[in-house]
Amino acid sequence: MSRGSRAMRCGAPTLAVAAVALVLAFASAARAQEQPLDPRVFEIGRELRCPTCVAESVSDSNAAIAREMRSLIQEQLDQGAGRGEVLGFFQERYGDWILLNPPMRGMNLVVWLLPVIAGAIGLLAVAQLLRRWRSAAEAPVEVDPAELERVRVALEDHSGDGDRP
Amino acid sequence: MNRLIRLLLVVAVMTGLTSLFLFGLLRGSPDRNVPSNLLGRTVPDFDLPLYERYVAEFGPRLSLAAAEGRPMVINFWASWCGPCYEEAPHLQRAHQEYGDEILFVGIQTQDREARAAGRAFVERFGLGFPNAIDDDSRVSIAYGLFGVPETFFVRRDGTLQYKYVGPVTDEIMREQIGALLR
Repeated sequence: MSRGSRAMRCGAPTLAVAAVALVLAFASAARAQEQPLDPRVFEIGRELRCPTCVAESVSDSNAAIAREMRSLIQEQLDQGAGRGEVLGFFQERYGDWILLNPPMRGMNLVVWLLPVIAGAIGLLAVAQLLRRWRSAAEAPVEVDPAELERVRVALEDHSGDGDRP
Repeated sequence: MNRLIRLLLVVAVMTGLTSLFLFGLLRGSPDRNVPSNLLGRTVPDFDLPLYERYVAEFGPRLSLAAAEGRPMVINFWASWCGPCYEEAPHLQRAHQEYGDEILFVGIQTQDREARAAGRAFVERFGLGFPNAIDDDSRVSIAYGLFGVPETFFVRRDGTLQYKYVGPVTDEIMREQIGALLR
């Protein structure tokens, strides 16, 4: 066996061990960078809109700004802030726009009240329709007496025909 | 008659809803005049590190105190943002024209650990006004930034006069700077 091939045989496991160690070191460094967040961060983040995203909350988005906002929420919770204070912090800077549940005031009332009003109008329409159907069913049927007599005679004639052998 | 009125009412409601739908669908790009919650209020102070080329003149870090009572134009940008490259020459031109009366400030934000790209950006356009680095985007959040670029026109007393979303043009700069200096 040549010296070169012996060196390669010894070097391969060493390289493999070094590669595994490198991967583990990177994984550990990555874990150290991603601090575990309090579940409350995600609860609050679900109520906040990600500023640079389309229809995504701060909790759902992986955008850089959403990650920074999550870490800021964590910092505020660590400092003893409550849910209301954290939401208020962002609301003060971005306005009501940042809240995924808009507060019930001003033009926002339309968002909250319109479905209720539309539902009430729908229920009223259905109730009105049912009332009309019921009154139509209960109303006495007016029949022309002459017509009634004609039917009666026809029925008698018919039953007479039936008695014949 | 009653039936005709009812029919007209239904047609009116349907036309209204369809118009609203089409308006939302066809209004195109978002309005550049996005209202800021800071309008008329004092803008938040910051303390950010500067790129090396500005250290000799402004020191290693920049805050609002650097304005020394002058109005400010604060522009937020990122090295990955295409429109930021588009507007940078306009900002530099405005700085050359009004730099004695107004402090122009660039803040690189939403661009974590992109110092090399940021440095290349300021060198490429030869930006003569101080450019700072908001690595953790905290200043961007304090200013209620939606994205980049956004430009804030700040009065002498530190209150926000106007915020522009998107790449600024010479026309916008002239109009807003005129109002700042009035």
